[in-house]
Amino acid sequence: MSLSFPTVAAIRFGYGFRPGEAPPQSKEQLLGQVTIGVRGAPSFLADGIAGRHQQIIHLQDELRQLRQSGDGQARRDRRKVIQKRVQRVFQRDANARMMQAVLSPNCFYERLAAFWTDHFSTSANKSLPMRLIVPLYEAEAIRPHLGGSFRDLLRKATAHPAMLVYLDQAQSRGPTSPGGMKQKKGLNENLGRELLELHTLGAGSGYTQADVRAAAMVLTGLTIDRQDMAVGFRPGISEPGEHRVLGLSYGGAKRSPKDYLALLDDLAVHPKTAEHISRKLAVHFVSDQPSGEMVVAMADAWKKTDGDLMAVYGAMLDHPAAWRDEGAKARQPFDYVVAGMRALNAGSGDGTVGEFMQAHQDASDGGDAAMPPQAMAGQASAMGGDTGMMASDAEDEAASKRRKALQTARALGQGALRRMGQPTWLPPSPAGFEENFSTWITGGQLAERLAWARRAFAHFGKDQDPREFLRATLADAARDETIRVVAQAPNKITGLTLVLASPEFNRR
Amino acid sequence: MTEVTFSRRGFLTSACCLAAAPIFTPVTFAAMPGDNRLVTIVLRGAMDGLDLVQPYGEAGFARLRPTLALTPDKGLLDLDGHFGLNPAAASLMPLWRSRELAFVHAVSTPYRDQRSHFDGQDILESGGEHVAAEKTGWLNRALSVIPRSGDRKAIDVNTSTELILSGPNDVDVWASDSNLRTARDEMQLLMRLYAGDPIFATAMEEATRANGAAMAAEPDGKRAERIVDVASLAGTMLNGDYRIASFSITGWDTHVGQAGQFKRPAQDLAQAINALKVTLGPAAWSKTVVLAMTEFGRTVRQNGSGGTDHGTGGCALLAGGAIDGGRVLGRWPGIGDGKLLDDRDLMPTADVREVAAAMLYRQFDVTPGDLTTKIFPGLSFDKTSQFLKA
Repeated sequence: MSLSFPTVAAIRFGYGFRPGEAPPQSKEQLLGQVTIGVRGAPSFLADGIAGRHQQIIHLQDELRQLRQSGDGQARRDRRKVIQKRVQRVFQRDANARMMQAVLSPNCFYERLAAFWTDHFSTSANKSLPMRLIVPLYEAEAIRPHLGGSFRDLLRKATAHPAMLVYLDQAQSRGPTSPGGMKQKKGLNENLGRELLELHTLGAGSGYTQADVRAAAMVLTGLTIDRQDMAVGFRPGISEPGEHRVLGLSYGGAKRSPKDYLALLDDLAVHPKTAEHISRKLAVHFVSDQPSGEMVVAMADAWKKTDGDLMAVYGAMLDHPAAWRDEGAKARQPFDYVVAGMRALNAGSGDGTVGEFMQAHQDASDGGDAAMPPQAMAGQASAMGGDTGMMASDAEDEAASKRRKALQTARALGQGALRRMGQPTWLPPSPAGFEENFSTWITGGQLAERLAWARRAFAHFGKDQDPREFLRATLADAARDETIRVVAQAPNKITGLTLVLASPEFNRR
Repeated sequence: MTEVTFSRRGFLTSACCLAAAPIFTPVTFAAMPGDNRLVTIVLRGAMDGLDLVQPYGEAGFARLRPTLALTPDKGLLDLDGHFGLNPAAASLMPLWRSRELAFVHAVSTPYRDQRSHFDGQDILESGGEHVAAEKTGWLNRALSVIPRSGDRKAIDVNTSTELILSGPNDVDVWASDSNLRTARDEMQLLMRLYAGDPIFATAMEEATRANGAAMAAEPDGKRAERIVDVASLAGTMLNGDYRIASFSITGWDTHVGQAGQFKRPAQDLAQAINALKVTLGPAAWSKTVVLAMTEFGRTVRQNGSGGTDHGTGGCALLAGGAIDGGRVLGRWPGIGDGKLLDDRDLMPTADVREVAAAMLYRQFDVTPGDLTTKIFPGLSFDKTSQFLKA
C-alpha cells in the first residue's frame, strides 16, 4: 500500500491536514513553503523583534537595580512581581508559537523551524532573562536563516545571547588572557564541546578532547554585554595564540572575531557535518533507521553546494525513500497537539479552536488563573445544597468564564505539552528532545494523548460526524480497521477521540 | 476561616469538589417559571431494553438469549407476570411498587437500517425525521414555546450543551473539564484500534495496567459516586430556578460479555433516578417526570460473544411522582417467528418522540400543533396519545 503524495506531504513533512487548506501537491510546493516561510515575520513575539530587544534591556535594568537594593523582603516581593510578568510573556509566546504552527499554511517550514530550534537547543529555564531571549532566538537567529546556507545559520545560532548564556560561553575566559588572569577565571568548554558534538561534526566523528579544548579557546572573546545583552567580541578575554582544531590553525598573537568565524565556517562545510546533519534530518522526518542511500544523497548535495540547506532538503524530497514506509516515525507531543488542533479547527461551539487559543494566550501562571484550593474547599464544606445562598453576580460569572477559558487554553496547550514531556523552549538538555519512536509511544503517552483528545472535543467540534472527521484528518492514511472502529463508536465524542487515538494519527 | 461569598459559580465549582473527582457528563439546565419539571437522560451506546426489561413470559426468549435471559428463579424481578426487571436495577423496585416508574417497550426513533450510533443519537436528540434534518435539539426548541423568564446567560461558554438542549435558547451548562476515564465499551474499541499495531497494543496494555492511569477503566465505585453526583446536582438545580435538566449515561454498547457489562450502566441508571428523587424531595418529585431514552435497541438474539449487536426497537423509561407508573406501556410486538424486524430486531410499534411529546404536553402545556411542527416535525401526536395515560 502506498499513500498519495499530498497525504505523505501533509503528514510526514507537515503537521497534518487542516480543513480548508490545500495540502502540498508537489516537492516544489513543499520547498516553496520554506522560501515563503523564511521571509515571513514570526507571529509569536507579542512585542516584535525590536520591541523584544527593548524589553530585555529593560529587564536587565530592573534586575540590576534589584541586586543593588538592600532590603530583604521588599526585594523578594519585587523580584516575584518581575518573575510573574516575565513568565506571563513567556507563556504567551509559547502559546503563540504553537498557534503559528497550527495556523500556518507553510507547515514544512514550520517543521524545519522546530527541527533547527531543537538542533541548536537552548532552554528558557537557564535564567529569568532567558524566558524573553529564547523566543527571540528562534525568531531572529533560526527562522530567517533555515533556508540559506548552513554556514549562516551556524553563525547566527552560535553568536546569539541565547546560545552564549545557555552553554556558558559568557563565563568563558582565555586562561592566560589579561581579562582571565585579572578575574581569575578560566576556560569554559561547554559551547566548544557542543559545537563539535551536537551542532556540527557529531559525536564519535573522530575529533578529540584536544580539539574540544582548542575550539573553546578559539571561541574565547565571544561574549555578551551583561548590560544590554548585545553579542560582542572582547579581545581582552580571548586566549592569545594559535589553536589547532582538526589540524587547522585559528587565532594568533592578536585575536579577533575572524578566528571563531573561520572555525565556524570550516565546521559548516566539513564532510562529517554534512553527514551528521543530513542523517539527523532524515531521522527526524523519515525514519529512525533512514535509508543510507538517501542520507548519502543529502550529504552529497551538502558537499556540492557548501551546505546550501535548500539543496539538502531537495535531495531528501527527491529520494524515493522519503515517500516510502509511511508512519515509521512517532508524532512527538508538539506534533500531536498541533496536528490535533489543525484537525479540529473547523469545529463549532465557541468558535474555532484557533480563535479560542488566540483569545486566551494569557493562560500563563496556572496558579493565578485557578481558584485557590482553600477557597474551593471552604465552599464545598459550607455548601449544603441551599440554592437560596447562591448570588447571581454577572461580574463574578464573567470572571469565572474568563478563568475557565484560560484554564482550558492552558490545558490544551502548554499544560498538555508539559505533561507529555515536550514543553516549548524547555528541552531537557543541549541535545534537545528525544527523537526515537519508543520514547513517545508509551502507556503514559497514550493516556495523555487520549485525555487531550477528550478534553479538546469537550470544547470544540464535538458535533462533527466522526466518520467525516476521520476522512478529513487522515484521508487515505486511515486503516480499514480504524474506519470500522470509528464508525462503531458508541457516541460522537468517543468516535472523534478514537480518530486522534489511532496509531496512524500518532505516526507520521 | 476566611469568609466565603456564595455565588452560583461557586456552588457549581464546589459540587465538583465534593465529588473529589470530576463528573463525566455535562448537565444542561433551563430555568423557567411553574412547578413542573422534566429531566431527560440520554442512554448513549444503545441500551438493550430486552435486558433491562426482560419478556421472560415470552416463549422462546430463553432460546434466543441462552446466557442473557433470566427468570424470576434466577434473580429477575417480576414486574407484571410477563416482564421482569434486570436485578442490576433492583434499587428501582420501590418506585415500581409506588407507581412512580414505568417502561415503554418497542419504541424507536424514525431511524432505520443503518444502525450507526452517531446518526441514531443525532435523530434522538434533534427530534427530526432523519439524520441532520434538524440542527438544534428538540428540548431547546421546546423552550421557545414554553413561557419562561427570559435572559439567563450560559454559565460556562467553554463547553457547549449536548445536542438535545442546544439551540437558540440560553441554557446553563455544567460540565467537568477532565472526564478522562474510559468506559468499558470504549476500552474494547481502543483494544481493537491497536490490535494490528503491536507497539501501540503494548503501550495500551501498559497504560491499563498502571494503577490510576487515565486509560484504566473507571473503578465501579467511583463511577457510581459520580453518577449520583450528576443526578444530585441536577436535583438541586431543579429545586431552584431550573425546570429542565438533561444528562447522559454511557457504557451501553454491550457487544461482548453483556451479562457482566450491562450491570454497571444499569446500576448507574437506577442510582441516578433514586438520587434525583432524594435530592428533589417529596414536593418537587411529585411534579417531576424523568425520561430516559436511547438511540436504538439491540438484536433480539444474542451474538457469538455473549453480547448483542445494534438493533431497532428499544425501551424507554419514565419515572417521577408526576407519572402514573407501575406499568409496562407500549404495544408489545412479540418476538416469535416472523415478528422481528429484518428477522433480527424488536419491531418498533411506536415512535419514542411521541413519548417525549406527551411529557412536554403534560408538564408544560406545549400544544400538539407546536409539538408536531416545531419540536418533532413529522410526528403524529394528539390528545389521544396512549402515552398521556402514563
